[in-house]
Amino acid sequence: MRKLTLVAAAFATSTLTGALPAIADGHLKVVDEPLELTVHFHWRRSKGYIEDWPVEKAACDWTGVCLKDATVGKNASTSSEAMNLLIASGSLPDIVGGERVRQPINEYGPQGAFIPLNDLIDEHAPNIKAWFNEHPGLMEAISSWDGNMYYIPYLPDGKYARAWFIRQDWLDKLGLEQPNNIEELEQVLIAFRDQDPNGNGQKDEIPYFNRNWEETLRPINFWDARTSGSDTYHDFMVVDGRLQHPYATENFREGLKNLARWYAEGLIDPEIYTRGSSARDYLLSENLGGFTHDWFASTSGYNISLKDTVEGFNFIPFLPPESISGQRFQEHRRIPIKPDGWAISHTNQDPIATIKYFDFWFTEEGALLANFGIEGDHYEMIDGEPVYTDKILGSGRAVNSQMYEIGAQAFRGYPQDYRYEWQWTRESARKGIELYDTEDLLLDQFLGVAFKQEEQEVYDKYWPNLQTYMLERIQAWVLGNGDIEADWDEYVAQLENRGLNDVLGVMQAAYDRQYGG
Amino acid sequence: MSDEHTASIPKTEKSNVEVRHDRRNERLTWLIDHFKREWQIYVMLAPAIIWFLLFLYKPMYGLQIAFKDYSIFRGIDGSPWVGWEHFGTLFGSDQFVRAVWNTIKISALNLLFGFPAPIILALMFNEILNATFKKTAQTIVYLPHFISSVIIAGIVITAFSPSAGIVNTIIGWFGFEPIYFLTKPEWFRPIFIGTGIWQEAGFGSIVFLAAIAGVNPSLYESAVVDGANRWQMMWKITIPSIMPTILIMLIIRIGNIMEVSFELIILLYQPATYATADVVNTFIYRQGIQGGQYDIAAAAGLFNAVVAFVLVMTANSISKRFSRTSLW
Amino acid sequence: MSGVSIESVFKRYGAVQVVHGVDLTVEEKEFVVLVGPSGCGKSTTLRMIAGLEEISDGEIAIDGRVVNRIAPKDRDVAMVFQNYALYPHLNVAENMAFGLRIRRMPKDEVKKQITEVAEILGLTEYLERRPADLSGGQRQRVAMGRAIVRHPKVFLFDEPLSNLDAKLRTQMRAEIRRLHNRLGVTSVYVTHDQVEAMTLADRIVVMNDGNIEQVGTPMELFNNPVNTFVAGFLGSPPMNQIQGTLTDQGAQIGGHELRILGAASGQTGRDVVVGIRPEHISLEAGPETSPLPIALDLVEPLGSEALLHGSFGDTPMVLKVDTHGDVAHLSGVSEIHVPADLVYLFDAETGGAIRGQAN
Repeated sequence: MRKLTLVAAAFATSTLTGALPAIADGHLKVVDEPLELTVHFHWRRSKGYIEDWPVEKAACDWTGVCLKDATVGKNASTSSEAMNLLIASGSLPDIVGGERVRQPINEYGPQGAFIPLNDLIDEHAPNIKAWFNEHPGLMEAISSWDGNMYYIPYLPDGKYARAWFIRQDWLDKLGLEQPNNIEELEQVLIAFRDQDPNGNGQKDEIPYFNRNWEETLRPINFWDARTSGSDTYHDFMVVDGRLQHPYATENFREGLKNLARWYAEGLIDPEIYTRGSSARDYLLSENLGGFTHDWFASTSGYNISLKDTVEGFNFIPFLPPESISGQRFQEHRRIPIKPDGWAISHTNQDPIATIKYFDFWFTEEGALLANFGIEGDHYEMIDGEPVYTDKILGSGRAVNSQMYEIGAQAFRGYPQDYRYEWQWTRESARKGIELYDTEDLLLDQFLGVAFKQEEQEVYDKYWPNLQTYMLERIQAWVLGNGDIEADWDEYVAQLENRGLNDVLGVMQAAYDRQYGG
Repeated sequence: MSDEHTASIPKTEKSNVEVRHDRRNERLTWLIDHFKREWQIYVMLAPAIIWFLLFLYKPMYGLQIAFKDYSIFRGIDGSPWVGWEHFGTLFGSDQFVRAVWNTIKISALNLLFGFPAPIILALMFNEILNATFKKTAQTIVYLPHFISSVIIAGIVITAFSPSAGIVNTIIGWFGFEPIYFLTKPEWFRPIFIGTGIWQEAGFGSIVFLAAIAGVNPSLYESAVVDGANRWQMMWKITIPSIMPTILIMLIIRIGNIMEVSFELIILLYQPATYATADVVNTFIYRQGIQGGQYDIAAAAGLFNAVVAFVLVMTANSISKRFSRTSLW
Repeated sequence: MSGVSIESVFKRYGAVQVVHGVDLTVEEKEFVVLVGPSGCGKSTTLRMIAGLEEISDGEIAIDGRVVNRIAPKDRDVAMVFQNYALYPHLNVAENMAFGLRIRRMPKDEVKKQITEVAEILGLTEYLERRPADLSGGQRQRVAMGRAIVRHPKVFLFDEPLSNLDAKLRTQMRAEIRRLHNRLGVTSVYVTHDQVEAMTLADRIVVMNDGNIEQVGTPMELFNNPVNTFVAGFLGSPPMNQIQGTLTDQGAQIGGHELRILGAASGQTGRDVVVGIRPEHISLEAGPETSPLPIALDLVEPLGSEALLHGSFGDTPMVLKVDTHGDVAHLSGVSEIHVPADLVYLFDAETGGAIRGQAN
């Protein structure tokens, strides 16, 4: 059935594209003779790069470059595994792409497996060049240690990811205002704990909860401490051009001390470490959870799904309360560059055509195709804006899943267009995003560094052990085994002993080289 | 004398060569005849040999990455040698050393409590006379074996939950405060080993039940006539009769001592419980698979294998010496 | 009075009845052999005496005490099993001591007993060996030793020799009989081998299909089998049985008149089975013999005797004759001579004996 619709869609595509004059003139052609390129494309949404995707058919039609799926390890559970299989097999297809390709491509690129793209982009890819010019710093971020850029990333759009959510109906019931600062927040959480906002007569409310145990740490933001410098947990951060690890700073000591106090006082889910991924579902539907930090889009959905089961349920995003020093910031945000995308391998016979093809996806037409699918079928242009057709919006299925099925929003190198997501973002989430947009909440992100081999060795030698050590101590402190105030000096000495300074040293060197510090 | 001697040399030499030649020919004909006659046996043997070569011996070639600075792109042969450096790195890490000790401790406790469990269970099943009850009970205890580790971990997490878990509910009846078991290092080993027993004792009892079924029934009848009760029969007949099976299973088990079932550990442990829960395999997993350091992971794996090999050899020779039972 | 009495004992497994009311008295010190084809209920009967099988109906008494509800260990019997039932992990001495240890006999006493019995059985030098290191005959002796050391009122033997080769079997058979003569313990012995039964028994009990066919001394049974079953079971080779009808002088079989001394008169025309033991025929005519034609197809020389396989009409026959040192002349045999005084007659319908051997 699904296959049938795909075929039908493909058929519709070819007839439609033929009717569109702007494309029929062939100005998007990147080659005179049709060219076939093989591609490795492992990603979690489908098995490889599907040649029947309507989006691929259109791209093939418009550019004259058609991709042939040559994905290795289609049944591998992770893309990294598939990539390792590919590299180990020794023969690379023309294009290597998909999910989580940044690290291997930046590692094997300088070894000769992939072609550096800088000059090719300069000469043959005006749209890619223009995009990076508009977004300074990102080209450096994705470059390898040798200063060359080896892959065209999937470039997400949109700023916000997670937000602070609170049970507004509980606040209303207890006669409280949305907390504006850390003192107020603590009072609200105490009230959630003690004043039975769910009205069942039992003291079973869980003030702060989360479905990721790593998010236990997030409230330390309210004491000006950081949990990560990027959208990856436990990551390094850059302060005034210097690399630091958030867990080795004085603010962290203060933040964690208070977090441990919160945990001891029952303001944090006592089972936060084992509740697991269903914590949010369970605690919200059982009318137990009051406050969390989670994704805008999915968390705002509970107001609809729990409308009938929990009376008066109103779980809404609110502005991050001011920290102890009066700052208001949102630490977690979308990363502007994903480790996903694609690269040209050293076996490719026609790198120029390939980079031109890559550039196609950065043209207006290419970007629309990559984001929204086929005009007239999946979306219409209304007042110069792409708007999904009823077929997509009215199907009752998630729009992103539908896009993945036609080959749009695939993790190729392309600029994502936030208009895609906005169209199917719920009203409550839109309000929240607009609310967050009223203030300048976002912090600069650490976008990672590419190591030389010697640097990588230092990092590999120390970092996994260091991180293990940090997490062990942090969990112990939160759980009340040991006192951070008493243990701090010894902890810092241990970090040093275990090579934190060596790791920071190589990261700083790589950072300076990459971002021209 | 000398004439004789010289005269005889060419003769003997020639005949020696001939004899040798004949012998070689004989052996060759014998081999050819042998293969002609027994080729079916070799055909039957071939799959096993191929399997061993392909899946056990060929991968050994890859072991050398434990001594190399391995890059997937350069391949095994293209990566430069670094000697014992990775082993130095491993043993320089207090976390690896801790993981080794944790592995040994968990395994030793598992051996102590987990190994007798299926034997006791099999002996208990053997004493059940009602066939329906016996079959039902067996099915129930086999069942957990077929549940995936993920579900098992979910069950354990739920059972030990401080708010809703059955364990803390029972503790609550006696007026004690609930314990957040899974974040307490001192509780990890008992929970892990207990879970292992719950999951595998039933299935593990099958081999011992089979061994018990193989005991000559007239041994029991003879003992009945001689006046032994069931308890005496268990101790004096059943257990001694299945002792060879027990010893073989024990040797195999000792060989797997470094192979703690790490899927379950990964699902159950927390940084808070690494102190007792982090074993070599989880360490390798974090280091190798997540960190992409295949060479270090291979070094740790090689260390594991060597320890296991030494243990098996030791256990086997001890068993051979004292009980005449051995793997080989 | 340590005999065994069995009174109308039945054994049923669910709806299947395998022993149909057996009555038997074994006198003190008597050696009784239960013999019959496999599945005839002889082992089941023995196991009921031992207490390994429950008695479905009837009564078994040992030494005058009803044992139906008494556990095997309290019946004071000892049993020797077909496959010896030796404990492979114990050495000979420990195997023999097993029952005594279970009964908490003092150690010195145990040792004394074992030394004694080992002496009797010639096992003294094997006491430290494990069963796996013994020969079949030695294992058999250990199994018996284990029974003997217990000094039970009754020995029960369940086909103890059937796992041995022919030579050893003959040897052990004699040894068992000697032991019995020496110890004088009441014994019940089960076997399917009629030679064993004949040689060992004071009295033989022939069983078939869960019933006792006949009880008696070996010679009684051999000479006067009560029916065709017993007649066919004892004796080797078995008695030849030919369908026929009674006449004035004897019987008519396959168109030949067979003279039989003392054939019941006044029953002319009655359908009978005529029984001729293989060793009773001769190749020469005698004063009181009738000739029978025979088609020979095989001669098996045994040394001083030979077996002649052939048929009379459609009935296969086996005959035993003296060779007088040569078998060449036997292949030409086409006629045998049946002595009129050595013919058995059974009723054709019931198989019951009409008359036994004429005395």
